[in-house]
Amino acid sequence: MATEAAPMDEKAKRMRDLLSSFYAPDPSISTSGSSISASFDNINSTSFDADQYMDLMIKKSNLEVLLQRHVQMAAEIKNLDTDLQMLVYENYNKFISATDTIKRMKSNIFGMEGNMDQLLHKIMSVQSRSDGVNTSLFEKREHIEKLHRTRNLLRKVQFIYDLPARLQKCIKSETYGDAVRFYIGAMPILKVYGDTSFQDCRRASEEAIEIIIKNLQTKLFSDSESIQARAEAAVLLKQLDVPVDSLKDKLLEKLEQSLDGLQIKPEEASLLAEHNDSSNDAESNEQLPAKIHEDAVRGFSEAMRAYREIFPDSEERLFKLAKALTAMHFENLELYIRKRVSAADFLRIFRIIWEDVILMDEVLPEAELSDLSAEAAQVTVKKFVARTFSHLQQDISDTILKFDINQKEAVEEEVLKVVLEASKKAGIQGTTDIFQDFRQLLDENIGIFVKMKDLIIGWIQNGFQDFFRSLEAQFLALSGKTSSSKDIEGGLVEGKSSDKIHAGLILVLAQLSVFVEQKVIPRVSEEIAASFSGGNSQAFENGPAFIPGELCRVFHAASEKLLQHYIDTRTQKISVLLRKRFKTPNWVKHKEPREVHMYVDMFLHELEEVGKEVKQVLPQGTFRKHKRTDSNGSNTTTSSRSNTLHNDKMTRSNSQRARSQLFETHLAKLFKQKVEIFTKVEFTQESVVTTTVKLCLKSLQEYVRLQTFNRSGFQQIQLDIQFLKAPLKETVEDEAAIDFLLDEVIVAASERCLDVIPLEPPILDKLIQAKLAKSKEHNNNNNNTVSS
Amino acid sequence: MQGGSSGIGYGLKYQARCIADVKADTDYTSFLTGTLSLKEENEVHLLRLSSGGSELICEGLFSHPNEIWDLASSPFDQRIFSTVFSTGDTFGAAIWQIPELYGQLNSPQLERVASLDAHVGKINCVLWWPSGRCDKLISMDEQNIFLWNLDCSKKSAEVLSKDSAGMLHSLSGGAWNPHDVNAVAATGESSVQFWDLRTMKKVNSIEHAHVRGVDYNPKREHILITAEDESGIHVWDLRKAKVPVQELPGHTHWTWAVKCNPEYDGLILSAGTDSAVNLWYASASSSDEKTSQSPVESIRQRVNPLLNSYTDYEDSVYGLAWSSREPWVFASLSYDGRVVIESVKPFLPRV
Repeated sequence: MATEAAPMDEKAKRMRDLLSSFYAPDPSISTSGSSISASFDNINSTSFDADQYMDLMIKKSNLEVLLQRHVQMAAEIKNLDTDLQMLVYENYNKFISATDTIKRMKSNIFGMEGNMDQLLHKIMSVQSRSDGVNTSLFEKREHIEKLHRTRNLLRKVQFIYDLPARLQKCIKSETYGDAVRFYIGAMPILKVYGDTSFQDCRRASEEAIEIIIKNLQTKLFSDSESIQARAEAAVLLKQLDVPVDSLKDKLLEKLEQSLDGLQIKPEEASLLAEHNDSSNDAESNEQLPAKIHEDAVRGFSEAMRAYREIFPDSEERLFKLAKALTAMHFENLELYIRKRVSAADFLRIFRIIWEDVILMDEVLPEAELSDLSAEAAQVTVKKFVARTFSHLQQDISDTILKFDINQKEAVEEEVLKVVLEASKKAGIQGTTDIFQDFRQLLDENIGIFVKMKDLIIGWIQNGFQDFFRSLEAQFLALSGKTSSSKDIEGGLVEGKSSDKIHAGLILVLAQLSVFVEQKVIPRVSEEIAASFSGGNSQAFENGPAFIPGELCRVFHAASEKLLQHYIDTRTQKISVLLRKRFKTPNWVKHKEPREVHMYVDMFLHELEEVGKEVKQVLPQGTFRKHKRTDSNGSNTTTSSRSNTLHNDKMTRSNSQRARSQLFETHLAKLFKQKVEIFTKVEFTQESVVTTTVKLCLKSLQEYVRLQTFNRSGFQQIQLDIQFLKAPLKETVEDEAAIDFLLDEVIVAASERCLDVIPLEPPILDKLIQAKLAKSKEHNNNNNNTVSS
Repeated sequence: MQGGSSGIGYGLKYQARCIADVKADTDYTSFLTGTLSLKEENEVHLLRLSSGGSELICEGLFSHPNEIWDLASSPFDQRIFSTVFSTGDTFGAAIWQIPELYGQLNSPQLERVASLDAHVGKINCVLWWPSGRCDKLISMDEQNIFLWNLDCSKKSAEVLSKDSAGMLHSLSGGAWNPHDVNAVAATGESSVQFWDLRTMKKVNSIEHAHVRGVDYNPKREHILITAEDESGIHVWDLRKAKVPVQELPGHTHWTWAVKCNPEYDGLILSAGTDSAVNLWYASASSSDEKTSQSPVESIRQRVNPLLNSYTDYEDSVYGLAWSSREPWVFASLSYDGRVVIESVKPFLPRV
């Protein structure tokens, strides 16, 4: 197929080329391409040289080919001839038809000119006629138009003249909308001619408008009108160019003023709470404060709703108002709980506030009142919890300090006991109450409380922790033993403690600490475990808030510290006594002992006081009896030892004595089991008294060591100590230690004596008996005077 | 808190109250101690800690005419010291020089440099100029305070100035401020009083009763430590002398003496009549740094300021001295005449 198609194409191409060369004046354009390539053998090229071609042909081809070529050429020439004939014929045909068409056109155009002239003439005449009509009607038309204008003007004038009446009518029918529309319509005219022709009219209408404005304002302000109406009134007023903003301000101010009325003043709050309470009991008809308040708030929220619709642009202000009210509520609540308030009362007020907040929140959901108040509520509840704790602490310290103790009372009447019992009770009662209160808080089912439950539990636990800590600090501060290192406001505490607290009270505090440690804290932790154990999830971050173990330790330490402090203050007092005794006389020039010195009485008196105080506050030791039997044996041995010591001393010569004596004391110490003088103090009557006595005797020994005695001085000491022996042993449980210490005093005195010659036992006895008799007599006298 | 003894002991023949560090001895750690015996011949012992620190050697034994109530070594000459002594009803104070020793120990006589004999009342203590070579001395009796100028070469001492504290105060001891050589603290019946030596007038006082011992903190200015009969140890900041900065429990009975370590700030030693010596660490933070402390830390420090309690004593401990040469070593002296040298190295704060 392809081979067949190629010659066909070749043929057609040639044909076209031929035709184009025929038509085109410059054949080089169409045939330039082929002429170069086949300059010799292409017949169609312009540079074709027939002779050359012929030569080439003859040279190259044999006869047969030449013949063939000849035949082919002849056929081609024939073909070309016919093609040319065809072309000529066709062109001729076309030429003939074109001539025909031109001939026809010529004949058609002929005669059109005349028609055209005719047409022009006719149109000219039509125009002239219409001009005639126009001029004839012109005058009439002018007249009509004038009339029409006058009529319009008259109608307007009429309208304006009618305006006051119309406005009045509108006022009567209260269609203020129309009135305003009329008035505004007439406004431009009135503005232009108001001063001249329509003066009266203008005045009248302005008066009417005044009335309308006034009416509208009253309408706007009246709460009885529907919100719709009021909103319309506001719009109309705005159209009348009345300064609405000032109105708005006025309205909002009024609203603000009404806020005052809505306050729950702290003074009233209690009233509110109470009345609310009574209303629950008896449905009384009278308007109760709570009810009134509720209505007021409802009114307030209604008003807010209204204003919001009337002045859509006033939202911000309303938000502010609502927030202010909420803030005020919570502030007042805070003020209120500054006084003592029970949880029930607190909750009642809180509930009222919460209702208010909800009401307002409905009106102004965008104000985010609930968020605001939730925050405020958190703060308030937290404060409430904190306050409750501080009240409890206050209570306890009040009970402690309530009793104005002076020395005499403390000893004779059982004031200390009373104080202790009272404060114990205050502690227990207080914690119970607090738990009741908090349980109420937790049981409250206002939404916010449910949300805050975990938080509240956290606060309560924290609160207890802080409470106990500060209670401990307060105990220490009360006792006057300020741990100064941690007290920043040390000056204040110092000032407080400077008016010396009674020593007995320190003892009470000590015992109270024990009580707190053993009773109150376990109880509190139980309660917390029982009903406040939630909220741990949140508290875990910084460990559980309430750590009873730590608190117990704190109070344990505090109780020991306080007890020690009590003993310290007591011994300090005695120490002063002893110091005076030893500083004042010149011991080297002491006179012979005549009687037991009176400081012994004072010493014993002090001890007696300690005993009495201790008896009131502390429990009795359980092992007293056991101790006594135990010490009996040692008692005899020690006394015999000291006797022999004395005997030895008397028999020896002075020079030898001193040296051997030191030796002896060392030896005695070696053989005797080391007496533990400074044992741990326990919370028993005996332990405290014993410790006090021990410390005092040790002080006595130290004082003695600082002096130098002559013989009489030594004898005086000997006498005093001998006298002390009996009463001390009566009061003290650890007789061995007391014996030891008394001996030590005598040893110390003998060491510091220039000339050691003890008193003879009979003289010693006699002096002691004399003293005993005297004190008995003294006592009797005292009793007599008291009884008489 | 263990009572086990790690210390080196040394027994005096008689009872004794006072021991002092020989500051001027730069070659050895030595202490001076004197006995308190009413009727026997009293002795002054010069003790030296062997270089290994394991033994206490008596370097010198000197007889002293009377019982010694107070003893202080001169800060500039290791052979000079002062004593306060008594003979029953009279009191005196003197400056002594230890004679050159060439090995023999047979109680050579002490050389009396000077007598401080201007006192009429009972002398309590003699204080040396805190450091360096200066010939100033202070002596105190119950009512008066004297400033002396000592001339060793002329063997004389003369009173430069004096002041009376008044009858009621009855001074009992004192300390010379190492930071301000013009200030001296004296303990009295009801207060600690401060004198300015330039004017020789009382300038200040802390009203605090029954102070037994007092010591300045040599490392920190304005810090003073007092020891009281019943109420333990107090640390004071002299700029705010109303309230103590810190309070340490002290001893079961009286706290007799208190000494600040010359090198380690906050390390305090106290001796008590409960036969114990306590080593304390008073946190270096005074009140102004307190706020920055984390609560946990402050609790820890509040819980345990007591580093150790040395209880291996038979009687009340009155004498106490840090060594200035080896500041971790201290000497203590109980009434029964037992000197115990201890090292506090295990308790030193790790720096």
